[in-house]
Amino acid sequence: MDSVTDKPVNTAPRTNPVVTEIVRNGLVAVTEEMKINLMRTAYNMIIYEALDFTVGIFDAQGNTVSIGLGLPMFIRGMSDTVKAKLAHFGAENLAPGDILLTNDAYITGSHLNHMTFTVPIFHEEELAGFSCCMAHWPDVGGTLMEGTTDIFSEGLQMPIVKIHRRGEPNEELIAIIKNNVRLPERAMGDFRAQIAAVKTGERRFLDLIRKHGRDEVLGGIAAIMDQSEALARARVRDMPDGVYEAESFMDDDGVNVGQQVPIKVRVTVAGDRMTVDLSDVSKQVQGFYNSGITAGRSCCQVAFKCLTSALELPINDGAFRALDIVLPPGRVVSAEKPAAMRMWMCYPMTIVDTIFKALAPALPEQVIAGHHADLVVGRINGRRPKDNSFYIYLGGLIGGGWGAKYDSDGQNATIAMNDGDTHNGPSEQVEAKYPLLVERYCLRADSGGAGRFRGGLGTEQVVQARHPIRFSSQMDRVKCKPWGLDGGMSGFGNGVALQRFGKTEEVNFQNGKALNQVLQTGDAYILRSGGGGGYGSPLERDLDALARDVRCGYVTRDSAEVNYGAVYLAGTLQIDVDATQRQRAQMREQGLPVDQPVAQSLVPQAPAQPHEHNDAFDRLTEEERVAFAMQCRCCS
Amino acid sequence: MSDAAAIRLAADVGGTFTDVAAFDEATGELRLGKTLTTPSRLVTGIEQGVIRAGASFDAAPLFLHGTTVAINTILERSGARCALLTTQGFRDIYEIGRVNRPESYNLFFKRHAPLIERDLRFDISERIDAQGAVLIKLDETQVRSAVSAAVAQGVTAVAILFLHSYRNPAHEQRAKQIIEQAFPQLFVTASHELSQEYREFERTSTAAANAYIGPRVRRYLAEMETHLDAAGFAGNFLIVQSNGGLFDVADAQRSCIRMLESGPAAGVIGAKVLCDSIGMRNAIAFDMGGTTAKAGVIHDGEVLMTGNALIGGYATGLPIQMPMIDIQEVGTGGGSIARVAPGDALRVGPQSAGAQPGPVCYSQGGSEPTITDANLVLGRLGAERFLGGEMPLDIEAARRVLNDKIAESLGMNLVEAAEGILRIATTQMANVVRWVTTERGLDAADFALVAYGGAGPLHAAMVARELQIATVVIPRAPGHFSAYGMLLADLRRDFVTTWFTPLAEASFADMEALFAGMEARGRDTVTRGQDKLTGISVRRAADMRYVGQEHAVTVDLPLELFQARNRDGIKQRFDAVHQTRYGFSVATEKAEIVSLRSATVGEMRKPAFEPIARGGLQPRAEAFSGRRPVYFAGAGFVDTPTYQRSVLQAGNTFSGPALVEEHASTTVVLPGDTLEVDAFGDLIVGINRS
Repeated sequence: MDSVTDKPVNTAPRTNPVVTEIVRNGLVAVTEEMKINLMRTAYNMIIYEALDFTVGIFDAQGNTVSIGLGLPMFIRGMSDTVKAKLAHFGAENLAPGDILLTNDAYITGSHLNHMTFTVPIFHEEELAGFSCCMAHWPDVGGTLMEGTTDIFSEGLQMPIVKIHRRGEPNEELIAIIKNNVRLPERAMGDFRAQIAAVKTGERRFLDLIRKHGRDEVLGGIAAIMDQSEALARARVRDMPDGVYEAESFMDDDGVNVGQQVPIKVRVTVAGDRMTVDLSDVSKQVQGFYNSGITAGRSCCQVAFKCLTSALELPINDGAFRALDIVLPPGRVVSAEKPAAMRMWMCYPMTIVDTIFKALAPALPEQVIAGHHADLVVGRINGRRPKDNSFYIYLGGLIGGGWGAKYDSDGQNATIAMNDGDTHNGPSEQVEAKYPLLVERYCLRADSGGAGRFRGGLGTEQVVQARHPIRFSSQMDRVKCKPWGLDGGMSGFGNGVALQRFGKTEEVNFQNGKALNQVLQTGDAYILRSGGGGGYGSPLERDLDALARDVRCGYVTRDSAEVNYGAVYLAGTLQIDVDATQRQRAQMREQGLPVDQPVAQSLVPQAPAQPHEHNDAFDRLTEEERVAFAMQCRCCS
Repeated sequence: MSDAAAIRLAADVGGTFTDVAAFDEATGELRLGKTLTTPSRLVTGIEQGVIRAGASFDAAPLFLHGTTVAINTILERSGARCALLTTQGFRDIYEIGRVNRPESYNLFFKRHAPLIERDLRFDISERIDAQGAVLIKLDETQVRSAVSAAVAQGVTAVAILFLHSYRNPAHEQRAKQIIEQAFPQLFVTASHELSQEYREFERTSTAAANAYIGPRVRRYLAEMETHLDAAGFAGNFLIVQSNGGLFDVADAQRSCIRMLESGPAAGVIGAKVLCDSIGMRNAIAFDMGGTTAKAGVIHDGEVLMTGNALIGGYATGLPIQMPMIDIQEVGTGGGSIARVAPGDALRVGPQSAGAQPGPVCYSQGGSEPTITDANLVLGRLGAERFLGGEMPLDIEAARRVLNDKIAESLGMNLVEAAEGILRIATTQMANVVRWVTTERGLDAADFALVAYGGAGPLHAAMVARELQIATVVIPRAPGHFSAYGMLLADLRRDFVTTWFTPLAEASFADMEALFAGMEARGRDTVTRGQDKLTGISVRRAADMRYVGQEHAVTVDLPLELFQARNRDGIKQRFDAVHQTRYGFSVATEKAEIVSLRSATVGEMRKPAFEPIARGGLQPRAEAFSGRRPVYFAGAGFVDTPTYQRSVLQAGNTFSGPALVEEHASTTVVLPGDTLEVDAFGDLIVGINRS
């Protein structure tokens, strides 16, 4: 059993509750400030708008003291990275002014884009803690072709190094980085932003120590961790003891398309401890969906945090002392070198949902039905026509449906579990920066699973290439639809498609893997996010709520009839209450509606070729061509 | 009557109280009136406040007004039934928003709830691209039919959002024209009228909020004008905006959303003018009331602004995108509740007992210990002196509840518990003050703290010590400070135009034309119907970033830079702002402009406050109102003198510990600190920073 968050042996002297509370507020403020500093100085949208980063303060052993979100699924990643750095150099070989860097995927548990900087914080020559910042760089080299099968094709691997040694930057290492990335100036902008963030953390943490005293602050931290532990234990104690299991699957690993990857979890609640066992999760895969053991631990901690202390700050390792994790190496979330890791973030979200699914019978009022569980992104690269400059654009992050709960509908159009306060990019900004046109960004009717409480709706985004681009998207959970709970139905799965210029039919991709597609001017790509699962039988849905759903177009009339048993007064959209009750009773007897938890693929693998050239289109002005392309698609 | 004709009136209608300030320009006298707000008919409360201040409308040349009617309409969801017209394909943008999930571990999180339901949001066929080119012409027939359908469903207001209208507003303008011709009774808002910045969700939300509150605000203003007419008011009626400037009623009836935060903004303007008058360039305006503490910043003599805010909190708030004073708040106020959480954790706020039931010591049914109860137990509030003795406080009840609910469970004594609550509250408030400064790369220790609001003077010295601030200023009328601040405001109009352009390629002629356009509109707005301006000034700024960055910073740009066509000068200003704010800048890196900002200020004649009577170093005997034991950390209970503020004279100076009491507020002077009364009656407290 892993003891990732055991109590440190040497606890500092205890302090009083007032100082503890002041330290708690101070720690939250420190990580908030690091976060703001990074966001505002970052060069790339993935950090600034998508918030694909995490900052934090750690104790002298590397345990999490406070994390500023960030990526929820990186809840474990930084602490484990700080511990690896500490073990690598040894505390005695760290000095003030050192900055430690790595992007080792098997240490951070994620992909090579996650450059992770750490500053050891010294107070009067003594190591008092660490300040750390992980952020996603848009490019770290590696192949632009998707479909990697080992880590070497995914880019630059920076082992644990001192990128600054006693305040002096190591220019040789920096030169290696610059030489291995496609956009070195941007990368150096993010590099500077991250260093500014960790230095801010160091400075503010030392301010706290100077103001309140070292023993008081360290004692306060120990007390905060104890408070978090007490709260978590109290919550687990309230859960019914037992062993709870659930299964789900991922569609495929991106290389062996169509070959399902099984997920199986077992949760044991005994007294005030919870154990999550991921031994029966699939072995690591050939494709690029693996993640490191840290990510597997994060799955368990995220689920545990949601169930025990969702809104408590700071996020710290005390909160996880009541959680044990069983995870042998070599699983898809504890992968070993040289497993390909590029899409590390995808599977863990489904594992979190599967943990909730397992606990649903025990904790019906605390869990949530399945969500779309994918970031639903497209990767675009191309050249701007005005100056032929190369650009990389991470499209998507369109949000999707979340699961319903025992007392409420799921939320529409919200970012998946991997990300937290992640923002999509305004379409007006996308169009100003890139030769792309967002034709449509809307909710998908009927995508939320039917239920007493309905799943949230997924979204659809249609983007036209105004000049040729390369486009890739690998999403999962196309076939394994977000599941309902307690008789609720599943939501729509995710999807990706292309629509060629002037054509009305779509080109679909089996299992959502659209690799290395070339889009010519006027072609469009379409991203679709799934809906959330429903909760409870749809035959019990309140009729006023159903009427509003239909009036607002969240649910179509057809679906209201087929799934919810609605009967309308002739020629109107008004529900006939008596007839509906009768219809519902009849459906119940017939075992209707029937859920289909796995999407059927009706479309064969798409041809990867672009459309044939048509000279007639060349005679249109650019505006006419864009408008023509849009009008072929506008009737949704 | 020449003297009577010089009475300037200001009324700040808040959730609980209506404050009126009347300034007599002939005598320099300031009179104040506080009454309960009358929600069913707000003018009644104002009328009573004016009477209480010993003034009347018929004698006033100027009536300045701040009101919560706009923000309450949003928070209470009591606005008009509205429709939204959007670009084809973007019907859901208002609901999709930015897809973020701030409460990342809360499975029961809720997103923002749009003010307009989906069945009243209509796709319209039209399209303009990021360069302003028309790709698809506006389908005018569709506009008419959509609005007809909406009207049939009882809609009284319409918002329009078309993509890239900041670049080319033609389609929004035409759609609005069509609707106004066909349905003159509707309140119609097009997004570009309120914001010419990119970001379609934020612009949608701004336009929708304006439409949502429009009919009600219009009714309110009409009612107010009718009342003013009946009361014989023949002067100028102006409203305070969230940017701290005034605007006229005609403007207010169209751009209602601009008055959203009028009360808090007026407080910051009051602090700024106070700073100008006493020669302070850097100050934090600190406003602590019953449920929150708010902080705004005056840096180098200018009030710091922001381009957007979330109304209703970060997690579920609705964005408003327009220039407004940057005011941050924390849920710490006099009514904030202290409680013991699992693991013996002591927490203060954000839950508040508010005014009802209020703190336990109010004896109005409150049962949870609050910050006010802690202040009473520590002697900082006088049980017999609260609100000038109008409301006796129950100190025994406060002791009991603090003892039973806090001290005993934490194994502390009563005084430690009460003092601990104040210390925790202090750090929470200090953190929000630090936030507004460090967010901009500034150090709070370089600022003075201007403290107001009912509870501000009680806590200001502790907050200042926490931040290493050297000077606290308690202005006159700290409990009526927003109304007071209104008396000091100018007319103002802000414009922002998104203009993505690399600095190296930015044509000065183009920039000049864009600024000139904004300035001409600004001048028209501030001069309309105003014959008493003492001057007009314009300010220019640009939102800039390094090429490739996403986030921009606002850089103030002196007019000389444009006259001299000094491109390098603009770049250097940007580098300097970036350096201050983020700790680094890169002279060799290229910059780009995101938006141009213009502010036009129509300067009004300011009230000339008369100095108060000058006295000696020692306060007169009448000012001394007794002694009581007050607890101070490190010193224990100290027998502390109390002074009556109204009797203090300019030049009076004394050291802490001391308390200065006035009707709606008490100023705490800590041991080691020194208080001096300035020429105008402001209390200047020097904080011992050692």
